[in-house]
Amino acid sequence: MKSVVTTVVTAADAAGRFPSQNDLEAVQGNIQRAAARLEAAEKLAQGLDKVTKEAGDAVFSKYPYLKQAGEAGENQTKVDKCYRDIAHYLRLINYSLVVGGTGPLDEWGIAGAREVYRTLRLPTAAYVEALTFTRDRACSPRDLSPQALNEFKSYLDYAINALS
Amino acid sequence: MLDAFSRAVVSADAKTAPIGGGELAALRNYVAEGNKRLDAVNAITSNASCIVSDAVTGIICENTGLIQAGGNCYPNRRMAACLRDGEIVLRYISYALLAGDASVLDDRALNGLKETYIALGVPLQSASRAVAIMKASSTAHINETNTSGTNPVETRFRKMETVKGDCSALVAEAASYFDRVIGALN
Repeated sequence: MKSVVTTVVTAADAAGRFPSQNDLEAVQGNIQRAAARLEAAEKLAQGLDKVTKEAGDAVFSKYPYLKQAGEAGENQTKVDKCYRDIAHYLRLINYSLVVGGTGPLDEWGIAGAREVYRTLRLPTAAYVEALTFTRDRACSPRDLSPQALNEFKSYLDYAINALS
Repeated sequence: MLDAFSRAVVSADAKTAPIGGGELAALRNYVAEGNKRLDAVNAITSNASCIVSDAVTGIICENTGLIQAGGNCYPNRRMAACLRDGEIVLRYISYALLAGDASVLDDRALNGLKETYIALGVPLQSASRAVAIMKASSTAHINETNTSGTNPVETRFRKMETVKGDCSALVAEAASYFDRVIGALN
């Protein structure tokens, strides 16, 4: 799993040397920024169900056709799965905030997502809408401190760009 | 390879639960103690050559047969291999201490080490004794409890002269990585 520490260790190991001062400085820099992203991860974990519901509701109000027969949300089971997927993306963003890198999103969310959605004939626009709504809905200081909000939004943007 | 953060992620993913509360408290502790950890890694890397040569000298002092003809540290070629392996083990321990997780040590150093040593005829008892000596001197360097030893006029020992604080948790963690190596060799 890619993070600052594993990147530094991999590079040191490839060169067969002990962690250098540069390596320790790189880890130190990562640690200094950690407070904000851990705060974002904690708040997101606390509000995950609410955020998921709001984002899902926003999708179905923007694209009401999704609930028509033959569409991705034609019955309650399928609607529930849409909410589950949104929660899944938010959980991966929570993990990415913890790790301090996009590793979890890349490995468990984005890799292969396009192929899966095409095969299942799911609209990626709906997921983009859910994540965009979440990004625009989150605000500081109501939800998070400014720096934590910044970290949260950067991972949302990363997921949005990957699905767009 | 995992670090303290990605370890939390992998175990949370197995439960499909987000990371909150309790797990985050442990990670916040890693962040709060971050500077201590970097000092501890520095204490090992800055004294690596001393720690390794001291350990290899130690096993030879305790078992002089090693450097007699037919011993496993005879001739220089095999002594050099011994020093090299000591440094490699110490290096992976420093990685593990930096990451706060033993996976890099397990995957890249310990996996198959015992089998390799058996196949090459390296005495496991001497190898694990060398690791035990490295453990003693590394933890002393981290904690700055190293002394002149049995020779009261010895001045060639070094203190890192960092700000003193409570490093017991880090020392215990570092010791656990050395014990992991010893466990893998036995």
